[in-house]
Amino acid sequence: MASSSSSSARGELEKMGIDQLKALKEQADLEVNLLQDSLNNIRTANARLESAAGALNDLSLRPQGKKMLVPLTASLYVPGTLDEAGKVLVDIGTGYFIEKTMEDGKDYCQRKINLLKSNYEQLFEVLAKKKSVADEAGMVLQSKVRQLQAATTS
Amino acid sequence: MSSSMALRDLQRDLESKANDLAKIQKDIAKDHQLRKKYTIQLGENELVLKELDLLEEEANVYKLIGPVLVKQDLAEANANVRKRIEYISAELKRVDASIQDNEGQQNSKREAMMKLQQRLQSIQAGKAKA
Repeated sequence: MASSSSSSARGELEKMGIDQLKALKEQADLEVNLLQDSLNNIRTANARLESAAGALNDLSLRPQGKKMLVPLTASLYVPGTLDEAGKVLVDIGTGYFIEKTMEDGKDYCQRKINLLKSNYEQLFEVLAKKKSVADEAGMVLQSKVRQLQAATTS
Repeated sequence: MSSSMALRDLQRDLESKANDLAKIQKDIAKDHQLRKKYTIQLGENELVLKELDLLEEEANVYKLIGPVLVKQDLAEANANVRKRIEYISAELKRVDASIQDNEGQQNSKREAMMKLQQRLQSIQAGKAKA
């Protein structure tokens, strides 16, 4: 909706027919669902990055030669020693991996987390707007249907 | 007698138009799916390019090929990603054009169908009167 104030948007809604309102409401609901899905995806991606950042932090605190258990699967661990924690390999997407220093690796995680955060906030705003449009359309639609029912029964 | 023949012709015409319309709509849906896929890929590639641009000249870059990591030149990786972005952008443009084209066809088909339906109804109404 391009209209800035909600009262003028409401006026436009009042002018629409029931079929039009129904279509608008369905469209808005669809978009709300889509945005909700996107927000959920961002949240899971954010959780993954947070855990990666935590793992890096943990790793950087361990001294070289430290004994540890490395997970091969979720339930199988093998013993190993920490060789070098100064360099990490970062998956940057589409099959490319980059060797980074520990500091750069942490920086990478933090940057990605910040990027996701700003995307999340932007999407959240759009979602709130769409939701209010959907709610308003639903309300106007209901009142119109009620009016129509009252007119036909009387 | 001839009016019932015309009626049948019209109905057949209408049916074929409806089939065409369904096909066009299927194409549009397919193109939208493709568009979504390409948009996601483009975004991912642009992120990768941004990361590669941040790197120093002598940084080690690896490419995952199947299960193995293969070391690659930074310049080569850069060129590869750039080429991919170019390709995906071109594909996106193509899909957009195809969507627009199909939507135009869809609208004209809809109009044609409306006209046919009106004619059909007027003939049926005339028949009912007779």
